[in-house]
Amino acid sequence: MSYYDIDSILTDAEKIPCTFQLDIPDLGYLDNSPGQPLKAGTTVNLPLWLAEMLVIANTGSVDNNTFVTFDLPPALGNDVVSALKADPRAVPLRDRSAHFYGLATHMMDLSEEQELGQVLRKTFVSRATEIALHARKVGGTGHGHKGKGKDESSNLGLGNAGEEFLRGLDDWERKLFRKAHEGAKAGKEWMESIKKY
Amino acid sequence: MALSLPPGLTHAEVSFLAEMEMVTVVPRQRLDSIDLLSGKTPALRPPHRADLPLWLALLLKKQRRANIVPPPWLHPASLSQIVHRETKEDPSAFSEPPPLPSRASSRHPGFASRQGEDGEFIVSPPFRASCTADAPAGYLPYHWLEVAEALLAYAGDDVAGLGSAGEIRGLLRDLVEVRAAKMRDSAGTLGAEGGGGVVSLRGVGALELAENRGFVLGVVDGVRKIGASVEASRREEEMEYEGAGGGGVGEDESDEDMGI
Repeated sequence: MSYYDIDSILTDAEKIPCTFQLDIPDLGYLDNSPGQPLKAGTTVNLPLWLAEMLVIANTGSVDNNTFVTFDLPPALGNDVVSALKADPRAVPLRDRSAHFYGLATHMMDLSEEQELGQVLRKTFVSRATEIALHARKVGGTGHGHKGKGKDESSNLGLGNAGEEFLRGLDDWERKLFRKAHEGAKAGKEWMESIKKY
Repeated sequence: MALSLPPGLTHAEVSFLAEMEMVTVVPRQRLDSIDLLSGKTPALRPPHRADLPLWLALLLKKQRRANIVPPPWLHPASLSQIVHRETKEDPSAFSEPPPLPSRASSRHPGFASRQGEDGEFIVSPPFRASCTADAPAGYLPYHWLEVAEALLAYAGDDVAGLGSAGEIRGLLRDLVEVRAAKMRDSAGTLGAEGGGGVVSLRGVGALELAENRGFVLGVVDGVRKIGASVEASRREEEMEYEGAGGGGVGEDESDEDMGI
């Protein structure tokens, strides 16, 4: 993750719910009431970069009473995690968050969620297998390679289900798809080129 | 960084390298020995077979000055045997690369010496003839797909001696698909509990590596990033544990804690 990595910047802009434990003067504008103090117990969606700083600032609190607590964002909520446990391939991750894995790894850094890591790992890997399959098969569709290309693209009967799956890929997975597809495409092009002679 | 190509070799580069493989030709005309960087080629005398690099063999073939003897593993029987092994006998692993030509040398552990050629050590694919007429059947060499496609494209009539080109192409296509599926599934094993997911790529061809490099590296990198925080906290715990275990008193205390 480099400093100029646009994806990590966008990931930092994801909102996570933070609850303030203390009254804070003049911060009311965060909760749509400018000029008022921010009441204790208010939950505000803060971008990840801000929440991260607040949470880190928390650690040295005096009376063991932190002034901000944060929850996992809805994208990583219980329902999503249990859906991922049931069938990783059926969850459109992009609908949860376009930077699902980036957000999740950030959250795992902040909170010690052992289980989440395992679920994510299984999810990523089993979806990766599926991604590779689609990357290999999706080839001929766009270019309209006469009759032959069409045959190749539809020989799995993936149809609409495949398209839906591909739409649900998050950012990491899209990159992975691109890589896998480039490999498969280069292979196909090479095959075609050698037959021309 | 300025180079826009992905890491690793492209398909064109791999198939260019594959042209270094030695193949057996039956010359139609005499040709004197040529002094190449890789050594002198044998002098060609028409009825006798000779081993030449693939690029030279293809050149002579184009000029109708030689016929290429296709390697035995390209025979449909050998290919279907490999397909059978890949799909039925051992559906999880890639089929073995060709065995070393002789047993390992006792004087130089780790190296194999070919019998009869003292002092010459032949180790890995580019330096080992695996596409000549006396290569073992039933094993796929490192450059199997490139050599097979090149022979089918440029020396179709010679390959036709083995069986119909369509049949060979079909079997090759089967192999490509079967092995690509294995490559995909190999990514799945990385998700196993406890990180026990090292994938053996023994027997994978050069072109397959070129094709899957981006994907496999992407998966491994993703798994690493997901596991990074867990790994970091585990290391911290280990460090703490080791720190506690350093002194005798600390160890006793931690044991007591466990007991309670």
